[in-house]
Amino acid sequence: MFLAIRELLFAKTKYILIGLITTLTVSLIFIVSGLAEGLSADNASSIQGLAADSLVLEAEAEGELGSSFIPMQKAKEIINDQEQEANTLSIQMMNATVGGGDKQISLALFATERDGMLIPEVTEGRSPKQENEVLADESLKQDGIQLGDELQLGEETTYVVAGFTTEQRYSHTPVVFVKSDDLEQVNAVAVKGESVSEGAYSTIPKMDALHGIPSYSQEQASLNMMIIFLYVITAFVLAVFFYVMTLQKRDQFGVLKALGANNTYLISGLIIQVILLSIVSVGIATAISFGIGALFPADMPFILNMATIVQPAIIIIVVSVLGAVVSLYQVIQIDPLEAIEGVAT
Amino acid sequence: MTLVLEHVHKVYQDGPKEYVALNDASLQVQAGEFVAVVGPSGSGKSTLLSIAGALLSPTSGKVLLDGENIVTLSKKEVTKRRLEKIGFIFQAAHLLPYLKVKDQLNVMSVLAHKSKQQKTDILAHLGLEHRIHHYPNDLSGGERQRVAIARALVNNPQLILADEPTASLDSSRGQEVVKLLANEVKEGNKAGVMVTHDERVLGYADRIITIRDGKVELG
Repeated sequence: MFLAIRELLFAKTKYILIGLITTLTVSLIFIVSGLAEGLSADNASSIQGLAADSLVLEAEAEGELGSSFIPMQKAKEIINDQEQEANTLSIQMMNATVGGGDKQISLALFATERDGMLIPEVTEGRSPKQENEVLADESLKQDGIQLGDELQLGEETTYVVAGFTTEQRYSHTPVVFVKSDDLEQVNAVAVKGESVSEGAYSTIPKMDALHGIPSYSQEQASLNMMIIFLYVITAFVLAVFFYVMTLQKRDQFGVLKALGANNTYLISGLIIQVILLSIVSVGIATAISFGIGALFPADMPFILNMATIVQPAIIIIVVSVLGAVVSLYQVIQIDPLEAIEGVAT
Repeated sequence: MTLVLEHVHKVYQDGPKEYVALNDASLQVQAGEFVAVVGPSGSGKSTLLSIAGALLSPTSGKVLLDGENIVTLSKKEVTKRRLEKIGFIFQAAHLLPYLKVKDQLNVMSVLAHKSKQQKTDILAHLGLEHRIHHYPNDLSGGERQRVAIARALVNNPQLILADEPTASLDSSRGQEVVKLLANEVKEGNKAGVMVTHDERVLGYADRIITIRDGKVELG
């Protein structure tokens, strides 16, 4: 600690420069994480926030909500078999026009029992009461939809927006909750807690259904790939920096060893430097990322909060220390004899 | 403290050939005695000093510090002995560039897990009290070597080893530094060994030992 801190303060410029590079890569990690989190919510917040724990699907659908079809009669039997509360869920992607205009809006229709457990909390307006009334995600407002507006679906169906709810997006489109009474088949039965299923039907945890959402896995995989690369780059940048620093300081380490410093002391000094550098970089990068996040337009799928940051922050500190291991070996290898010049070896 | 080397051999393997750096070298240095080791380059002076300072282990023979044979100790124990019992002074001062003079001394207390008590006495003694808050870069060569001596004395070691301490100094600075060393050895009742080929400073030594081809010739 004694030496580590004094050296950091003495060689400010070097450490500020390397800290700057680390700060930039860490900021990028945070921003891409925020984007991944935002896209994930934009694609699946309605499933992630679904007031159920598991889904009963047709076994042949292999976990894909869209390929599962359960006749309404059978769905009711499944509901009756459950020990806990259960409701039907049917998802349909539709295009709607507003009040007979030309503008098309994509919607995800979630059909379920009108007063069932799957209906989310109303944040504006009121719960649907009339036959044709619906509850819609508030992101529809960005398309100019207001309370009381009519959504025209095809030739016959017209819905009236009675209320808005929040954080209900599916496949990058706003979710509209409609009633399922007159459907002949549904996609799934959503169940609280463990669900009971048999024969041609199988149960999956609700989070497993995310993989069945078009493009969900691909989007997350490509962003996660970027994040992993950034971790590796950060680790390598720090590893190379501390390796070169250690090589430069060979004679200093040699003298310290000759004077009686043991490996543990020298190594812990190095690790303290790496940890301090990465903690400061993470701190500044957090501020930068929140600042940039605030500048993004409201409809950009970007979610950054302390919960999103904690995990990558810990990973960064851990990989930085791992990166320094190469230098540790170097420090251990240095012979105190190097302090005495002219000794034949 | 006495330093005793008994029948020390050091053999280096140089490809297929063997190179004998020390051949049956024996030596005894008493407390309060300041010994100069001289000899042509390549004669084994530095090897002798490295073995006495527990930086190098001999091929055979014994090195006794206060009666304890340090040859058989573990690496960790040897490092501890260096910290507690031996003060090293090198050819160049080898100060850490990022430490002020007072911290050059404090680091020795930190390593020995001792409190960082005031080092002003020792610095005043070596005429460095006005340099306490300076970095090595701001010091003259002689001042740097005096700081190195102060650093070697901080933990009050009983054995002082100096490897050509005047090599980087001009003649008058060199004389001054060796005089200081000799005084410290006398006043602190320590054992002192200095390797040198600077004949002008031999007058400060109690005894001069010559090494030729790895053999100790007592003078």
